[in-house]
Amino acid sequence: MLSTFHGLEVVKRGMMTQQAALYVTGHNVANANTPGYTRQRVNFVTTEPFPAPALNRPQIPGQMGTGVTAGSIERVREYFLDIQYREENNKLGYWEARADAVSKMEDIMNEPSDNGLAKTMDQFWQALQDLSTNPENEGARSVVRQRGLAVVETFHYLANSLSQIQTDIGTQVGVTVTQINSLAKQISEINQQIASVEPNGYLPNDLYDERDRLVDELSKLVNVQVEKVPSGGNALATAEGAYNIYFMNGNTKIYLVQGGNFQSISFPNGQDVDGDGIKEMPPATGVTELQVGSTSQVGSTSVSFTSNNQVTFPMGKLRGLIEAYGYVNGQDSNGQPIVTGIYPDMLNNLDKLAYTFGTLFNEVHKQGYGLKDNSHGVAFFDGIGQVTDAAKTIRLSDDINDLANIAASTEQKQSGNGNNAINLANVGGMLLSADTISLIGTTNTIQISSLHLPLTSGTIQTNYQGWIGKIGVDGEQANRMKNNSDVLLQSVDERRQSVSSVSLDEEMMNMIKFQHAYNAAARQITVVDEMLDKIINGMGIVGR
Amino acid sequence: MRVTQNMLANNMLKHLSTSYANLGKYQEQLSTGKKINRPSDDPVVAMKGIAYRTNLTEVEQFKRNFSEAYNWVENSDAALDKATQALQRIRELVVQASNDTYEETQRQAISQEIKQLTEQLVTIANTKVGDKYIFNGTNTLEPPVQMNGTSITTSDNTGEVKIELAKGIYIGVNVDPTKVFHYDASQKGKGLFSDLQSLANDLDNPAKTGKDINEYLGYIDQHINNLLSARAELGARMNRIELMEDRIDSQQVIAEKMLSDNEDVDMEKVITDLKTQESVHRAALAVGARIIQPTLVDFLR
Repeated sequence: MLSTFHGLEVVKRGMMTQQAALYVTGHNVANANTPGYTRQRVNFVTTEPFPAPALNRPQIPGQMGTGVTAGSIERVREYFLDIQYREENNKLGYWEARADAVSKMEDIMNEPSDNGLAKTMDQFWQALQDLSTNPENEGARSVVRQRGLAVVETFHYLANSLSQIQTDIGTQVGVTVTQINSLAKQISEINQQIASVEPNGYLPNDLYDERDRLVDELSKLVNVQVEKVPSGGNALATAEGAYNIYFMNGNTKIYLVQGGNFQSISFPNGQDVDGDGIKEMPPATGVTELQVGSTSQVGSTSVSFTSNNQVTFPMGKLRGLIEAYGYVNGQDSNGQPIVTGIYPDMLNNLDKLAYTFGTLFNEVHKQGYGLKDNSHGVAFFDGIGQVTDAAKTIRLSDDINDLANIAASTEQKQSGNGNNAINLANVGGMLLSADTISLIGTTNTIQISSLHLPLTSGTIQTNYQGWIGKIGVDGEQANRMKNNSDVLLQSVDERRQSVSSVSLDEEMMNMIKFQHAYNAAARQITVVDEMLDKIINGMGIVGR
Repeated sequence: MRVTQNMLANNMLKHLSTSYANLGKYQEQLSTGKKINRPSDDPVVAMKGIAYRTNLTEVEQFKRNFSEAYNWVENSDAALDKATQALQRIRELVVQASNDTYEETQRQAISQEIKQLTEQLVTIANTKVGDKYIFNGTNTLEPPVQMNGTSITTSDNTGEVKIELAKGIYIGVNVDPTKVFHYDASQKGKGLFSDLQSLANDLDNPAKTGKDINEYLGYIDQHINNLLSARAELGARMNRIELMEDRIDSQQVIAEKMLSDNEDVDMEKVITDLKTQESVHRAALAVGARIIQPTLVDFLR
């Protein structure tokens, strides 16, 4: 037999469930603009029908429904799209870092323009040409000296500015490492909270959202993969469990987060800037490897940045930044580490250029004669004893303070002979691959091989042009890849939004739907009430 | 596909910012007049740009060198012209003096004039342009002729002053002083100043006859010839320099054109692009305004 109040119970359940659905709708509307929020939906399930099949069940025709209940509240989300999103986001992080680094370099090099190194050198050659037509003129000599000074200062400016940016990028690496470590820590904390909720049969949807948002953020910095570990207990089948987060080093999984535990990234020879025991700043001599371990025992796993002259570190902003900052790639013939990367390469090139330029110019200069009897074999530039840091240390020789020492002539005591000035003006176009270079006005030649110049092909000018071209190509590629991955990311994000984002129209529709259902259930109570009224007050009053 | 307000808003924002970026690009191109602003905009244009600039600077420099070359050649020519005039006057005087009818005092007067003309020639040989002596080979800081009372010494510097007028082409612009202004007493007819000196001495010497003086005519003619041939050579060189200047002028035009073709913006094209982009931008804004506004909320009471 059905109980008297069965109808009231069914309707009460209906009202409660519709109310719950309305509250979830409210939650959705309220979070329509929350970053990372996934719309939630109530899974309505019918309650167990009466009677349940049993030995002493009442004999009534058919099973009677007993109403509805909110089975679970779950997120509408597609995990597969998350994986795609993170992949693209990761590439975007990498190319953004590279494009940014190259763009800053372009700003400093300032080519092609009327103020770059190329123009400064052109002006220097021009001044030497002027000197060749007026070798006895103090003014022309003074201009040569000033223009030489301008070249030297441009070298200093470029090298120092590039070093400055390189240091800034190092700081950025540090910040990124701190960010990665902090994200890993936050994710592990959310894992812990989730692990304490799920076994009770609940779905902590908002925690899931927050965790996914953090993983999205992390995926931009370093390429991570997510493994789900079920919580156990009374966890629902749809519960997501804890996230284990790792990146791959070759075939080895390196864990950043394992349930409620996390590991920190650090640089073995780096520097700890904030005193937390983690060396987040990369070593000034370039990155060789990273270490991954818990803060208390840093150094449990070493991840080398390169392997067989190839960067093997996973993609992402961190890799992009380190590639710009400089990393150790093999050893040279003297067993010294070779530091390569966007900025170290350019600085190295500038050093080579300054050294080659200074040494070759000096060699030609030494062939000539100044205005005084004894001014022969004088060097024009100084401070270029070695290639390393030549761009920072090159300067004018003290001898050139006496303008008469500028060797414009190829013969002694010939004030009007400007042949060596012509030779000097041609240094920029001298073929560095040649064995010997002949000079005009003298039978002396320059033995290129004996100078051991670090540049051995093209000319000083073409080498420089080539590097500017290379920055251009690097930048172009980085910009293109950045745009491509941005477009892909947008389209994946759109698909993800299509599944997960809150549509106000839809919520509005649902609201009306649930509201009407709620109202109808309330009306049903009136019906039941009237029915009971009839039973209680209207029945059995015959003859009264 | 399910579309939500947020997606529309994001898309609109994205399109608007792309549109703004394009507008910014055209703005930059129009205000700088350059197609590219940084190497990554177009690496090839950037690389070529550096080379063309160097090329242009070089050509401009050669143009500057031309005026220096003209300076030398024209001044040398003018000085040699004056020297020729002086020698011609000397020749006249020699013709007069070779008449035996002239008295001793008359010859002495002629000798005086010749001495003055000799000094004039010394001054011409020591012509200074700016701060340099143009008739002393490459030793331009010292005068080629030193006159101390009656003794004259001349320089033997035959060095050529070379000026680079085109890539790898060096042209000598000075006159070899040993060919025109020279002192060599070893043999008559060899040195200008030695001949003039002995001519003046012979005129002062009453023992010398008209025949002796007449002998000098040949020597003077020889020196005039030397001057003329030096001038002819200068003329020929001047001619060559002018031809080269023509070529460098056209080279400059070419170099400037290449630089401009390579990196200068095509105004008509950019302005057209800008106009197109402007209308696209307006359309994007208008569409955004229509789409973002109404939702179901607006129609339900």
